[in-house]
Amino acid sequence: MPVTRLPLLALSAYLAWGQWGGELRFCLRSDPKTFDPLAVADDSSETVRYLTGGVLVRVNRKTQQLEPELAESWKVAEGGRKIVFKLRERVLYSEGTPFSAEDVAFTVRRMMDPALHSPTGDSFRSGSGEVRAETLGPHRVSILFPSPIAGLERLFDQVAILSAVSPKAVLGPFVVAEHKAGSHLLLRRNPNYWKKDASGRRLPYLDSVRLDIQQNRDLEQIRFRRGEIHLIDSLDPETFDSLAAEAPASAIDAGPSLDTEMMWFNQVRNAPLPEYKKAWFRSKAFRRAVSESINRDDIARLVYRGHARPAVGPFSPSNRFWFHAGLRPHGFDPAGARRKLEQEGFRLDGAVLRDREGHPVEFSLVTNSGNKTRARIASLLQQDLAKVGIRLNIVPLDFPSLIERINRTFHYEACLLGLVNVDLDPNAQMNVWLSSAANHQWNPNQPSPATPWEAEIDRWMRAQASTLDPKKRKAAFDRVQEIVWEEAPFLYLANRNFLAAISPALRNTAPAAMRPQTFWNVERISFANQISGRR
Amino acid sequence: MQTLRYLAAAFLLMVFLASVGADFLSPAPYERQFRDHPNEPPSRRFPLGTDELGRDRLSRLLHGSRVSLLLAPAAALLAVFLAALVGLSAGFLGGWFERAAMACTDLFVSLPWLFLLLTVRALLPLNVAPWTSVSITFLLLGLLGWASSARVIRAGAAAVRGSDFALQARAAGCRTARLMMVHLLPNLRPAIAAQFWISIPVFIWSEANLGMLGLGVTEPLPSWGNLLLELANYRAVFAAPWLLAPAVLLVLVSSGFHFIFSKEDPCR
Amino acid sequence: MEPLLSLRISAGYPGRPAVLQDVALDLEAGGTLGLVGQSGSGKSTLALAILRLLHLKGGRTEGRIQFAGRDLTECGEREMRRLRGREIGLVLQSASSSLNPALRIGTQLREAWRAHADSAWEKPFELLQSVGLHADDAFLRRLPGEISVGQAQRVLIAMAVLHRPSLLIADEPTSALDLITQAEVLRLLAALNRERNMATLFISHDLLSIASYCRRVAILHEGRIVECGETGRIFSQPAHPYTRRLVEALPRIPLAASSLNLATLAARLEEDLAQRAAADVVHPQAE
Repeated sequence: MPVTRLPLLALSAYLAWGQWGGELRFCLRSDPKTFDPLAVADDSSETVRYLTGGVLVRVNRKTQQLEPELAESWKVAEGGRKIVFKLRERVLYSEGTPFSAEDVAFTVRRMMDPALHSPTGDSFRSGSGEVRAETLGPHRVSILFPSPIAGLERLFDQVAILSAVSPKAVLGPFVVAEHKAGSHLLLRRNPNYWKKDASGRRLPYLDSVRLDIQQNRDLEQIRFRRGEIHLIDSLDPETFDSLAAEAPASAIDAGPSLDTEMMWFNQVRNAPLPEYKKAWFRSKAFRRAVSESINRDDIARLVYRGHARPAVGPFSPSNRFWFHAGLRPHGFDPAGARRKLEQEGFRLDGAVLRDREGHPVEFSLVTNSGNKTRARIASLLQQDLAKVGIRLNIVPLDFPSLIERINRTFHYEACLLGLVNVDLDPNAQMNVWLSSAANHQWNPNQPSPATPWEAEIDRWMRAQASTLDPKKRKAAFDRVQEIVWEEAPFLYLANRNFLAAISPALRNTAPAAMRPQTFWNVERISFANQISGRR
Repeated sequence: MQTLRYLAAAFLLMVFLASVGADFLSPAPYERQFRDHPNEPPSRRFPLGTDELGRDRLSRLLHGSRVSLLLAPAAALLAVFLAALVGLSAGFLGGWFERAAMACTDLFVSLPWLFLLLTVRALLPLNVAPWTSVSITFLLLGLLGWASSARVIRAGAAAVRGSDFALQARAAGCRTARLMMVHLLPNLRPAIAAQFWISIPVFIWSEANLGMLGLGVTEPLPSWGNLLLELANYRAVFAAPWLLAPAVLLVLVSSGFHFIFSKEDPCR
Repeated sequence: MEPLLSLRISAGYPGRPAVLQDVALDLEAGGTLGLVGQSGSGKSTLALAILRLLHLKGGRTEGRIQFAGRDLTECGEREMRRLRGREIGLVLQSASSSLNPALRIGTQLREAWRAHADSAWEKPFELLQSVGLHADDAFLRRLPGEISVGQAQRVLIAMAVLHRPSLLIADEPTSALDLITQAEVLRLLAALNRERNMATLFISHDLLSIASYCRRVAILHEGRIVECGETGRIFSQPAHPYTRRLVEALPRIPLAASSLNLATLAARLEEDLAQRAAADVVHPQAE
């Protein structure tokens, strides 16, 4: 048999040589809503922006360090109000025009144009006043903001530089060549892409990227198994395990993702709940006791089939810099939980826990309906809490009414939701931690902090935002994480792993926790046979 | 054919008894999580294996049957009662009343009930016991599921209205109400019975579909709906065919109802 | 003496030419009036119009209907309901479809009784016997599908006369029946008319039946009464061309010496039928 196969192999090698670079294929959930990199607000548009946009600096998804791209170097000055970029020279746009400081200034001005309402621009808005972008020469540009922005330089990871002269020209590795709404998107390699590999060859290795619009995840999996597509982002643990059993080489567990599952109690003062329940929810001992009744290992083992780990705080260990390595998840300790509750005046009456006034301890947990993972977590919580005498009622709600309850009417007792972290920097979570913030979920929009510990969190969050010194910022945010661990306004449950399917035919893939997890280094991804053919 | 009907009836009776006696027949409490035995294949201890949280599947199937088989007929009864009320009066009284009732029925069929169900679910108090919640769900299904049956019954009633015997009865001085009760109802009984039997599997399926949306039965109570949910992962089913047990049971019960329905003598 | 029923009406269905145009009829108490006309001439419309049930078929009536001293067109629905079945009985053409197929004979009789009686329901065995039916519980337990058409027609007649109405409207009561049963039913109607002094409006397209039974005849043609009078006169001296055509179209029965000697014809016919019917007064139950 091997003998007859030989000519075939030779033929395929020949074809591989002929197919210069090859085509990477994967699926988008929906059509991109925009091709304007400054207007991006949805995942699909973000993917297109990542594949086509050139940026001044890039956060390396693996090391989470900031690396130079179109800017050779940069300098933050004036206490974080000003940044000066020195740009790479001899870079051409996809259609041949040269890249210069003028283009950067143009991009920044357009991004900050209030009329455009750019979501990207929003993260740069620090205070009232104008943003001034000035060229200091053909390859130097300075940007001045009205007030300091912590972590300013990292924000430029999201800013794809436009061309001041040609609206369609891009600086990224690929160019949109074809878009058939509802069907697919074809990106071709940018022939003028500036990056080169170690041997001096111009990147990207791939000829094209084809993005198929495919909402149905089952079909996506079938197509992957057939080899029609090469990547699937974020598989659920069940699918991952069945894929791992069939094709171990293509099932990739990239370790903890940045996402966190958590629950919290409603501590809003005027929430339409009985006073005695509000008193439980405001009691630190009660919150800690509930937290310690939860078997987080079981959640990771049963719900995520081992592809997760107990969560400790707002950041997962995959956030290398900001994760507080000194903290451990609240331990599973029903006996300790019972002791804590007894000290607080709760007592066990048969199988029912009662508070000081004799009310049976029972509360509801709202979560979004149709999410299998959360339903299972809720089931485990229900059983765990039953063991300390607490009755948990699970209330799955459709998303809009859930949001209505947790953000407007506050007619809920406890909530189970996930936190999807896109940004590594705690500055992105100012609106969660400040007691006056709208997303301070357990008790939002407080005129003044309701508790001393919330006041302290406020102080530390402001402190970390007001300095540029990473060490000081880290120390401040570590304090925040410690207070949150101690007071347990959020009960962090699990950090799921990032599970992906990656075709073994691909080379140089390096899945990471940060988005876009599987193709962040797309310009270096290639097909195994093609690389060997080129050598 | 007759034997088949008896078999179907016997089977349904058996399933019914098994679901009523679920507490005694179940090897384990349906909500008990044997966390050290998740996703187990069938064994002597777990005849249908365990689910991902280590709960005994047979026990869950039995209790799920109880929920679905007790509440679906109840909902069907309610729906058919409403359908008969609307269909009979519309078809028999005719005129503007019929037009109004049928417009109402059409509206009912075309309204986005899913959103209404979502809203109602959202309006319920937070701390609702699972049994209450599932009963309310079926109550809603019953309250909302009458429209298509009402159309069928109305057609039958309209036919009776135009019939000679209805005319004859009127000519004999029969009162309208009496006419409907005595003359109309017996004639439509087969149609109404058919609607009832047909509604039961429809409601079982509806609850199953609501279950897929996270509505309907809440944890930890099982129903055929949330048991069927696990079949969504079709690959898992190939590897573990015993997961199909609830689906098989649902299909068997549905066809059982159909067999029994076809037993109805259209003359009575 | 004022007639029991005296009407002058026009009737029709919206959007179509009038079915009855200014039709005038009188019927004295205890009298028999035959109404003859082609199919579609509006005979059944008239029957329903008198009972004020025409609206059920979508029709409308104008004019007045004097019955036992009141104008029915001015009666409310409540009063009409009390009248129907108690003072005016109706027998429809198709016996098999005029009984509710889902109800037992006994139930249907009981319902007809309940419509007007306050007294307790007693099984009307005597009445059933008088219309030539089995007067037993077994018969009352039957469903309409289990008795013959002739029996069904008798049941209907029994129901119609249950409350001893003063007027019976028989709308083609014999057209669906075979010749022998026809004769029996005719005799039954004649007997009821005699014994109960019950005026009868006999609607038919069948001239012979009318001839054998009715004292007076009205000829309905294209929505109008074209001729009305004593049966003998109409048959011997038809005035209107349509009546003449009707009479001429009668089958020439060999045993009759003169086709126009109607008295003889009717007598012979009845005699003949009686003989044949004597053999089986009641049909075997199943068709």
